[in-house]
Amino acid sequence: MKKIKAHTPRGGRRYYRALIFPAFIFIAYLVLYLSFPDTTAAAFGKSLAVLARVALPLCLVFVFMVILNVILNPGHVGKLLGKEAGIKGAGLAAVTGIISAGPIYAWYPILKDLREKGASHSSIAIFLGNRAVKPFLLPVMISYFGWIYVVTLTIFTVLGALAVGYAVERLCGEEQHDS
Amino acid sequence: MRIAVSADGPGLDARVSYRFGTSPYLIILDPMTMEYEAVPNPGAAGGRGAGMQATALAISRKVHVVITGYCSPLANKYLAGHGIQVLTGVDNTVRGAAEDFLQRAERRDREAEAGPPYTCPLASKVWIAASQSAARQFAGLLPILLGVVFLMGLFTAFVPQRLLSSIFSGHMVTDTLLGACIGSIVAGNPINSYVIGGELLRSGVSLFAVTAFIVAWVSVGLVQLPAEMAALGKRFAFTRTLLSFLAAITTAIAATVVFNAVVGLIH
Repeated sequence: MKKIKAHTPRGGRRYYRALIFPAFIFIAYLVLYLSFPDTTAAAFGKSLAVLARVALPLCLVFVFMVILNVILNPGHVGKLLGKEAGIKGAGLAAVTGIISAGPIYAWYPILKDLREKGASHSSIAIFLGNRAVKPFLLPVMISYFGWIYVVTLTIFTVLGALAVGYAVERLCGEEQHDS
Repeated sequence: MRIAVSADGPGLDARVSYRFGTSPYLIILDPMTMEYEAVPNPGAAGGRGAGMQATALAISRKVHVVITGYCSPLANKYLAGHGIQVLTGVDNTVRGAAEDFLQRAERRDREAEAGPPYTCPLASKVWIAASQSAARQFAGLLPILLGVVFLMGLFTAFVPQRLLSSIFSGHMVTDTLLGACIGSIVAGNPINSYVIGGELLRSGVSLFAVTAFIVAWVSVGLVQLPAEMAALGKRFAFTRTLLSFLAAITTAIAATVVFNAVVGLIH
């Protein structure tokens, strides 16, 4: 073996792909500026004002991300899901959905594995529904909508996800795995 | 001790495959006895989620170490989350990689017997790794967020408010339905839905529509439906998506009505 080294994640290609969208917007600004300089300048000013508004909440988001990364990892989150049944299981699925992070595509293989090991339809549905609640992004949401709205929406989102989980279990409960 | 080696072929003399996610085989072996099993990688054909299929395979086989040429940051994160050590940069045969791993493990054991070096608790590896991971997550969401912010700048400057008012009439049901439909089609990081929703609200779009848009953005996701069907079954995916769409509408109406009532009581 020539070399064994500790893994250093890079994922450069993915980040380059993420730059396509902002580059497209940048080109749109240039093109529009040629025809509508005043309106485009106003649009740029409005965008800078939005950036100024979300700058501090974004700093808090970063701090929350670090703390959550220390406390949690996907393996532990996955292990919690599907361990319990009934109300306790639904609560656990809701909590794991809320604290889960990362793109949904990364969670599908883990959810499939958990389902094959006996996790209920309702647990999976509740988990997916509660991914709409993102604690570490709350500073940005509060900066736009205020804490009363955020608390109200969070409560109803969790209740809605629990209702969806219950209904999915009723409708798909007898289904054998058809995947 | 079980190790998984990404391999170009089904035997111990096959080369270690460069990409973990799309390697043709995973060789599961015990480096002490060299007993092995060659398992075809379900993600070998590539495509979206291929790397996670190899990851799920390694996790389900309860290996302790993965040896490969390159492993994506996401796969590495999930493997590490299950306590699996990932060794990359390997260019050798499967047998050579396993023997080299064993030698290094024995050397490490001898060094461990000599006692650990002193490390400052504040410079804990856990915090450093968590900060690096958060920086990567942040770097991943920032370009799209910047694009969304500047797109919304164009949107608010170029789209007349009266056009928005004609589309979103202020009617509770139709506005909510429209918001949920738009939120269901697009998908991505929720932070983008907050920025878009916030700017739409400032442009005069009703809170019913904005709320339905934000809830549907994450909980429905028509773009993700094929992947959900493949992983969890067609019936489950269709049922959950349809119910989530209905829940987005009812959640938006209920949350907005309660929010307006609470704000009315406070003021």
